[in-house]
Amino acid sequence: MARKLTRRSFLKVVGVSATTLAVAACAAPGPTAAPAEGAPSAERVEIEFMNWWGAHREALMDEAIANFHDMNSNVQVNNSVQPWDGRAERAATAVASNNPPALIMTQRVETYQFAHENLILPIDDYVQASGIDPDAIFYAGEINNQRWQGQLYSFPLPTGGGNTGQYFYNKTVLAEAGLDPETPVATWQELTEASRAITQKDDLGITVMGASPGGGPVGFGQWLYCNAGQFVSDDARTIMFDSEQGIETLEWMVDFTNEINGGIDNANEFFAGTSATSADHPYYNEKLGFMFTGVWQFGHLQATDPDMWADTSTWGVGQMPYNGNNADAAHAGVAGLSGSWGYVIPVSTPQDQADAAYQWLEFFGTHEQGGCLFLFNQGRPSPVAQCNENSAYYDDNPYWSVVLQSLASDVSVAVTPVQARINDVVGTVVDEAYFGQHAPADALAKGAEESQRILDEFWAG
Amino acid sequence: MLTGMQRYLHRHRAKWVGFAFILPWILSALWFDLIPFVTNLYLSFTDYSVSTSTPDWLGFENYREILEIDPLFTKSLGNTVYYLVLGVPIRLVVAFAIAVLLNLRIHALGTFRTIFYIPSVVPLVAVSIIFFGMFNARYGIFNQLLILLDLPPVRWLTRPEWIKPAMIIMSTWGFGAQMVIFLAGLQGIPSELYEAAEMDGGSYWHQLFRITIPMVSPVIFFNLIIGIIGGFQVFASAYVLLGPGGGPLNAGLFYVLHIYNNAFSYFRLGYAAALSVVLFLIILFFTVIMVRTSDRWVYYGDT
Repeated sequence: MARKLTRRSFLKVVGVSATTLAVAACAAPGPTAAPAEGAPSAERVEIEFMNWWGAHREALMDEAIANFHDMNSNVQVNNSVQPWDGRAERAATAVASNNPPALIMTQRVETYQFAHENLILPIDDYVQASGIDPDAIFYAGEINNQRWQGQLYSFPLPTGGGNTGQYFYNKTVLAEAGLDPETPVATWQELTEASRAITQKDDLGITVMGASPGGGPVGFGQWLYCNAGQFVSDDARTIMFDSEQGIETLEWMVDFTNEINGGIDNANEFFAGTSATSADHPYYNEKLGFMFTGVWQFGHLQATDPDMWADTSTWGVGQMPYNGNNADAAHAGVAGLSGSWGYVIPVSTPQDQADAAYQWLEFFGTHEQGGCLFLFNQGRPSPVAQCNENSAYYDDNPYWSVVLQSLASDVSVAVTPVQARINDVVGTVVDEAYFGQHAPADALAKGAEESQRILDEFWAG
Repeated sequence: MLTGMQRYLHRHRAKWVGFAFILPWILSALWFDLIPFVTNLYLSFTDYSVSTSTPDWLGFENYREILEIDPLFTKSLGNTVYYLVLGVPIRLVVAFAIAVLLNLRIHALGTFRTIFYIPSVVPLVAVSIIFFGMFNARYGIFNQLLILLDLPPVRWLTRPEWIKPAMIIMSTWGFGAQMVIFLAGLQGIPSELYEAAEMDGGSYWHQLFRITIPMVSPVIFFNLIIGIIGGFQVFASAYVLLGPGGGPLNAGLFYVLHIYNNAFSYFRLGYAAALSVVLFLIILFFTVIMVRTSDRWVYYGDT
């Protein structure tokens, strides 16, 4: 017989349900989330590896994880690939949560921010216990990107989050402009002349472009180091980008862009709506002579235009052009002005998971069947110098020796947890110079003053 | 025998049942609105970052920085006000005009209403990507139209002076929700009023300005307030089209983008909280002003 629901029993149900919900929402994580610290664990430890290696890289990551499982039966790594949208929020909330993934992929400045807030574990003790020597394994420019205040927080992978010291060029474009495709440009002056010969415009803008020096802090930073300049002092306390070399660099960028490309808006419009992973990018369509980008471009080239990748007579690699009028200048690359990926262990990770996370990190960061294989399959170099000696690299890529030269010349700029703010300041003043609001010297002076204030405030705090 | 408490509950049981029904709303309002609001207010006086430790108390330091030091506060607020002052009225006028047209007795009216409403249910990210193509200087439809009209093409998203107009054009496209509210208001106007006006020889324009607009003024008022609040909170479209920096020279750096950058690029969550409190006060100020002045121009009937 159906029981009649009275108002009183209804109220009881509502009251009990609401209280239960409220208590459940407020409850601390269950005991399964936090096993006793240091307790020996005979069971297989399961860890979540939060990362952004999506698209064609996901299968490669799964392969590296499978290799790890073959050699480490005590750890189960779950590959948790996250969507790119909202990446920074996801990383921050994950690190700060009381039940975080055991290993989280972060950009260099994020790593520093989290380290500064004591939200992540330094891995020096693990490294010491393991007996490996990171400085002997990694390029100096790469491993130093993962150090903050003398402590190591991760192993780097892949190489340089910033634009590293090589560029790509399209031999077909150079040949059509009457240039020698087998002789890549080496200096700013050669780049200017080559671009002048290549660039074509119509009423709506550029139809074929030689090169764009780019903008923002990364664009400015990479050219600054090719003019023997420095972004910030080695102790990260003094802004130095407004030096004579800095002014000369920004003047060259602005003059080049105005004279060759008809202004920064013209140059930006040429790339609007395209990316290095889309088939309509000018580089893949013989409409761009020189492309200043990172080593990730090898993977993009393989995936986006396999025919071009296979026909190595249509593309080439050179080292970043330097200021030929400056006797101190040379080819250079900037590894990690703001980027440079690492993998961090949150402090609230249970001990057994933290141990397992390091075990996986060391394998992924240093082992031939881990990160080395992962990067080799993308045609890009490893931050582990020895991995790059694999002869198969030379078979696939006739320009491999240039890539290795550029890696050796990469610089790890000394940055602080406030670098993201400084980068935005630099991006704005570079824009102001491009749009003629300030002369390059004045723009840099303004940017340096604001950046120094941010830096001073940080060190004072 | 009933105790005093039981007698009290019995006497007021209708009231308690009512409370029980609104309890889910009260709980969610407390949990998702009031607690975050109070927490945000507290954090705005601290230097809180992502750390789980207790944030340091700063007093009014964040607010002092907003008003005295931060150049992007005035820049982002100025961009947002520009967007509001031009964008909200344009969108209101377009939504009202289309609603008036869709209120006519014409063939296939339902189809037209659906067509005009559909854009407002398309996800904003998808709309932004579509408009990204439409704003392309070489291939985009807007420049093709300008060229057809023998006008010079415009660099919508790469020239600082054109970025905000482009954002306003894009926001106008999603007028469907406001249009539906206008349509509901228009259909609530008694037909006797129009019949009386026609008998008195009133033209279409007389009817529009003397009957239609006064009678839907509460709806105009509602859409205006919602439009201003929404305008102050513009974020996703700018983020997708221009990135977190808001494009060249920060021309599209709207206020909420500035909050977002401080919170999730710089991890200055205390400062971002202070910026959001300032935004709340600005919106509150405009809302109060509009509510206070509404009795001068909003017609609620002969009361």
